[in-house]
Amino acid sequence: MKAFLAAVLRVVRKDVRIESRTKGVTTTTAMFALLVVLAFAFSFVKTFREPAVLGRGALWIAFVFGGTLGVTKAAAIEDRNAALDGLLVAPVDRSAVYLGKVTSTALFVFVVNVVTLGATTVLLGYAPTPRTALAVVGVLAAAAVGFAAVGVVVATLTYRSGLDELALPLLLVPLVVPVLLAGVELTAALTAGAPLGSWLRLLCLYTGVLLLAGVATFEFVVEE
Amino acid sequence: MTGTAVRVDDLTKSYGRITAVDGLSFAVEDGETVGLFGPNGAGKTTLLRMLAGLARPTSGMIALGAAELTPDDYDIYRTLGVVTHETMLYDALTARENLRVHADLHGLDDPAVRCEAVLDTVGLRERASQRPDAFSHGLRKRLSLARALLHRPDVLLLDEPYTGLDQRSVADLEAVLDGFDDRTVVLTTHDIDRGVARCDRALVLDRGELRADVALDGSAAAFESTYRRAIGLDEPEHIRGV
Repeated sequence: MKAFLAAVLRVVRKDVRIESRTKGVTTTTAMFALLVVLAFAFSFVKTFREPAVLGRGALWIAFVFGGTLGVTKAAAIEDRNAALDGLLVAPVDRSAVYLGKVTSTALFVFVVNVVTLGATTVLLGYAPTPRTALAVVGVLAAAAVGFAAVGVVVATLTYRSGLDELALPLLLVPLVVPVLLAGVELTAALTAGAPLGSWLRLLCLYTGVLLLAGVATFEFVVEE
Repeated sequence: MTGTAVRVDDLTKSYGRITAVDGLSFAVEDGETVGLFGPNGAGKTTLLRMLAGLARPTSGMIALGAAELTPDDYDIYRTLGVVTHETMLYDALTARENLRVHADLHGLDDPAVRCEAVLDTVGLRERASQRPDAFSHGLRKRLSLARALLHRPDVLLLDEPYTGLDQRSVADLEAVLDGFDDRTVVLTTHDIDRGVARCDRALVLDRGELRADVALDGSAAAFESTYRRAIGLDEPEHIRGV
């Protein structure tokens, strides 16, 4: 178990080092997410009366589109020079490689979402209380893990099978609909002070299922 | 390891209706250098990727030493060094950092020392702080070889090691491989002259099947004749032109 966790950590450390040097995933994704928020601001902010509704709508739309771009970029790093093959010929459980990739991808997606949350506050007037904002950040973290869990598998599958990049959102978005639904509803409930109830359970359970499914399928996705 | 380093038994790999490797059986002894020869599409790379655990056989068995290569036995990769067409390197990391990633993943006791040692072996110590995307094709190949040698593997798998290299890069690569003479090497190549000079034995593949298994004595001309017969070519120029 210790060796397994060490391998996960090494993959994460490698990804963080690459990202800290290139900013390839976070910068592109953040720019895209901010453009979504900006488009909302230009389109609705003068006419829409409920900034909370507008804010959470922009936040979660940016989450899905930005996240899709993020997992694509993260998978492209492993695809270039067949770098992923280098990890696969190491004496490391491939589930550890998968979980390492999920952790780093979720981290990048999460960081961008926190920036997006800040942008919705500034540009759309979405102003949750500090406590609510903290809870929304927690929801974003859980959603980022669920998104990355399925995103890593689908993006890796897309690259390794030579599918067109268009196939990635077509395959990914339907699979993350429960994450998106739970995220939107949880954000609404948190803003309104309503009970979180079944949406929180759905988000956690579905994220767990996605992680287990990813662990079970990654080996088959990466092997020819 | 002693005895047989690699054993392949009735190995088949199909992609849908296409059979890339068809019922191959052979063994490679410890310390032997075996060349896989054959035209494009013969199944050489597919075979090598199966030996490396990067492709799953449709049927048949691969054993490295005494251990069968199975999807769950990751420790077996400690005995294997793999160099493919692609470098398996990260362009955003320096040469040294790339090696360190792999040294850590292999759980080496002395990763920093070992990285410096292999950088010396492949002659890249002075360029260790540079990123591989600034390297020539030959230097990238050498760094890829350094990555494969990091954990002192018993068996080295090389896919087209000479492709795209100029004379000097080939000489550098040969010098590195000379230092690896006591280990088992399986390589694929279209370059008959260099392959014959390097290998103790040749396996000729065509359309996924093993057509010839011959000991080599360093004479490319003698092997060309066998090769020509094995794959049904008559003109030796065609072979050299592959």
